[in-house]
Amino acid sequence: MVSVCLALAKAGYIAAVPSDEELMAAYIAGDKAAFRELFRRYTPLLQRAMARDLRSLEEANDLVQQTFLHLHRSRLDFEPGRKLKPWIFTIALNLKREYFRRNKRRRETSLEDDRVAEPFEGPRGQERSDASRETARALRLLPAEHREVIELHWFGGLSFPEVAEAVGSTVAAVKVRAHRGYVALRAQLGDAAPDPESLHEGKPSVLGSK
Amino acid sequence: MDCPQIRDAFVHGEPLSEEPVKAHLASCPQCRELFEQDAELGRKLAAQASEALPCADDFFGRLEQDLVRETGPRAWLRSRPSRLRFALALLPLLLVLIAGGLFRQRADFAQYPMLRVALLLCVYFVAIALAVGKELSESPRRDALRDYLGLLAFALLVPVLAAFAPATEASRLAYPGGALGCFGYGALLTLPIAALLWAFDRDDRPSLRTVCLSAAALGLSANLLLELHCGNGNAVHVLLGHASLGAAWLAAWAVTRRLSRA
Repeated sequence: MVSVCLALAKAGYIAAVPSDEELMAAYIAGDKAAFRELFRRYTPLLQRAMARDLRSLEEANDLVQQTFLHLHRSRLDFEPGRKLKPWIFTIALNLKREYFRRNKRRRETSLEDDRVAEPFEGPRGQERSDASRETARALRLLPAEHREVIELHWFGGLSFPEVAEAVGSTVAAVKVRAHRGYVALRAQLGDAAPDPESLHEGKPSVLGSK
Repeated sequence: MDCPQIRDAFVHGEPLSEEPVKAHLASCPQCRELFEQDAELGRKLAAQASEALPCADDFFGRLEQDLVRETGPRAWLRSRPSRLRFALALLPLLLVLIAGGLFRQRADFAQYPMLRVALLLCVYFVAIALAVGKELSESPRRDALRDYLGLLAFALLVPVLAAFAPATEASRLAYPGGALGCFGYGALLTLPIAALLWAFDRDDRPSLRTVCLSAAALGLSANLLLELHCGNGNAVHVLLGHASLGAAWLAAWAVTRRLSRA
């Protein structure tokens, strides 16, 4: 059913696109096209979430693949009425934590490098301005628990309640962590002269007048 | 207008009209914080949202190949809902406890203080359930290693302490012999639980938490079974034949983990 809806939506016959939760329900019922669609929707988000901490794209892609494998293995744990996005991110974060536990020795030896080198950034990494690099660097220097919340909220597209669910905390605690992260980011970026042109990279301002 | 809309607008660079933004900011300190100083921090964070990273053409194909391999008894068991996996993992322990309690009681069972039996059953079983539940859960694993090392320490130390507090006078006066038999009995009866924990684990390679929690659950299970089965309370016997099972299971899981990495 979902595969038919997706085909019709792609062809422009219908506007409604099934939600993530509907796709998951369809996959549990045996619709493989629904899983493929979930893969298409979540791969970029998960790739970015993994790549921000890892040094190679292959490792990031491997963890993304494992996330979907775990999603498949845990599919019967998915309860109706639950949001899919925080659940997928919970699986992904668990895998990432285990990855770093497993590779603890290697991470410890590269901690010093982290101060100067950057994890994999993708093809646009080279085009980034100094100010943008400075922000990325400031983000990486945040304590893990503050950074995790900010990244999930900003780049993963999770609301604060969803972030709280994904990291196994309360909404209030997550907001406090985000607040502390923002304060630390401001402090670290305080001396960096902003370069609005390079920051926006041609995108319109969020508040038009500013 | 809500927080995700504002955040998405920032990330995607979409313009927002001022009035709804102001109305939201009046009631939302989190977003207000981002809009301070001309929304500079929000813009800088938005600039970090990069385009999709490249991935191999056969990325989904490789995943499909993995999914095709997800067949057989282990694939079926590990894909059961977590509550069912939890219940099924504890079931053999319960069966063995009942069978052991009825048919293979310790010789001095009649003199064995019932309060101690009840207390042991409760404390051990809660700890076992906690270890198994944590291991099989899909909840966020924010817990530090020390959280489940605590359970492991409990599994290793409580039987050691029990060794110095024999339950009956007869058990206190016993000789240390027969430790190997107890070790084998405990290991054999907990083997089905170990097999189930391995089968239920959704990780292909056991994680460190799986190693600690499984060893804790198995060590405690073995000691609980032996406490009901063996009336020998000699400290040396209990240390070598009973308490050592927790360490043995820890070593077995650690070896499994190491082998799977190789």
